Amino acid sequence: MSGQPELGRADLLTMLAEMTGKPADEVPDRVGSMELAWLVHMVEQRHDRRLDLTDDQLAGIRTVDDAVAVFRACLSVPADG
Amino acid sequence: MDDPSWVDDVLLAGPSTDVCFRLPDPVDRGTLRRLVGEAQTRLAEAGLRPGGAAALRLPPSLAYVVNLLATWRSGAQAVLLDHRLTDHEVAQALERLTPQVVIAPVRSGGGALKIFVDVTEGVTAYSDRPAGSPHAVIQLSSGSTGPSKVIGRSAASLVAEVRRYTRIDGVALPGERIILLPSMVHVLGLVGGLLYGLHARVTLVPPDRLSGDAVLAAVAADDSPATVLGVPFHIGLLASTRPTGPLPQFRRMTTGGELVPPAVVAAFTDRFGATLGNMYGMTEVGVIGTDLHGRHRPAIAPAPGIEVRESSTGELWVSCPDSPYVGLSDPDRWADGWLHTRDAGTVDPDTGLVTVRGRLDSQVSVGGLKVDLTEVEATLTGLPGVGAAVVVYDNGITAYVQPDGPTSEEALETLLAERLAGYKRPRVLRLLDRLPRTTTGKLVRSTEALRAATP
Repeated sequence: MSGQPELGRADLLTMLAEMTGKPADEVPDRVGSMELAWLVHMVEQRHDRRLDLTDDQLAGIRTVDDAVAVFRACLSVPADG
Repeated sequence: MDDPSWVDDVLLAGPSTDVCFRLPDPVDRGTLRRLVGEAQTRLAEAGLRPGGAAALRLPPSLAYVVNLLATWRSGAQAVLLDHRLTDHEVAQALERLTPQVVIAPVRSGGGALKIFVDVTEGVTAYSDRPAGSPHAVIQLSSGSTGPSKVIGRSAASLVAEVRRYTRIDGVALPGERIILLPSMVHVLGLVGGLLYGLHARVTLVPPDRLSGDAVLAAVAADDSPATVLGVPFHIGLLASTRPTGPLPQFRRMTTGGELVPPAVVAAFTDRFGATLGNMYGMTEVGVIGTDLHGRHRPAIAPAPGIEVRESSTGELWVSCPDSPYVGLSDPDRWADGWLHTRDAGTVDPDTGLVTVRGRLDSQVSVGGLKVDLTEVEATLTGLPGVGAAVVVYDNGITAYVQPDGPTSEEALETLLAERLAGYKRPRVLRLLDRLPRTTTGKLVRSTEALRAATP
């Protein structure tokens, strides 16, 4: 395991705030393709591993909460190698 | 329609062994020519004739490139439909443009984060009409009156733009690589990436997927100089990667779309030692001006052969010999050889440098894609349960809706998802009992007033 604390909604809001340059409490809840690419990138950096998400997993992410659930599920599987 | 020989002369000429793409397996010019020839046969069998049109509804892929070139080489017009458009938007476009064939995926692999997708395409007959205009390419732009604007460019206009690129100091040179991030359906990726790359014998390299690490891996995969072509969002992705080794082959990054804040520029150049350049262009004419060495920020120098002037009302006008609009005659958009950009700006009388100051209308840029808020508002207002709607840009597309019947945010989102491509949809959608109005009853569009009216 990566030794990182479990990923939470607040973490993702902070990451989106960094991307959009606005306070975390003003970050919209909806996640578009750019936000999704940004979140995957940031979570990969934080956990130092690649997230191998399926097309269905990616397509199912429409809100920050969806993203938390999908990323947690993905991170709970040990990384290859 | 123009003589199709320009495809061979300008785009496909060159040694067969030249590597045109790395996907990551190399695709050489000989292979590309063979694939284009085979695709021409399939398009003809499906009913495409010289002077007809083919609609391409394909994600970025080798199939897209091959079918685009095959369409042109058949003496036909290519109608480019962004693969993110909904079935509703595509049906409207096909009805207006009546292509002879539609090319769409029957199978594709990849996903939301893929930049190039592995596609098997199918070709279906649609109509037996000739193309509606003599243009080589038709692109759709989010429209201010509801439906999309239809923009056409002739082969001569595309060739002129490709040649314009060859005269700009700071573009990728023959034997170098372009790391290609923008969509090839839109002008920057289409002409600045694909067509220029094929013409100038620059290898096009789409990263394995949309992440900062994948872009850097694509740069590092070869020793030849690399130019990353993208939009400002991609700068953020790169700047937030963890430093590994030096990348001396990373020469420059060029972005179109909105201007990049100075702090971002400084962080980028400190980190990579590469030049960050900026381009200004429009679907209607292609590249208008550039600052590829970052010397004129925030201004740009007009591209060779392009004239820019400032109208009496402070709007930028760009030389454009023919009206690019199909089925639309609007002297407020094009007149007497000048395209009215709807961008406010200034032209320095001494240096000729152009500074763009922002839109004069309701168009915004979302990740480099143009969205007219009027289109979003018109679509929203037309939905059942919506009495009135105001759509503004408040750090993202934001919609305020006054219902006149039973509805909910979720119901409206579902309906919008059927009608508008994802990048056009509001990030924030709020229902208000009453939208703020002026004393004369007009809807108020100030973001502050709308925020204040939200419970």
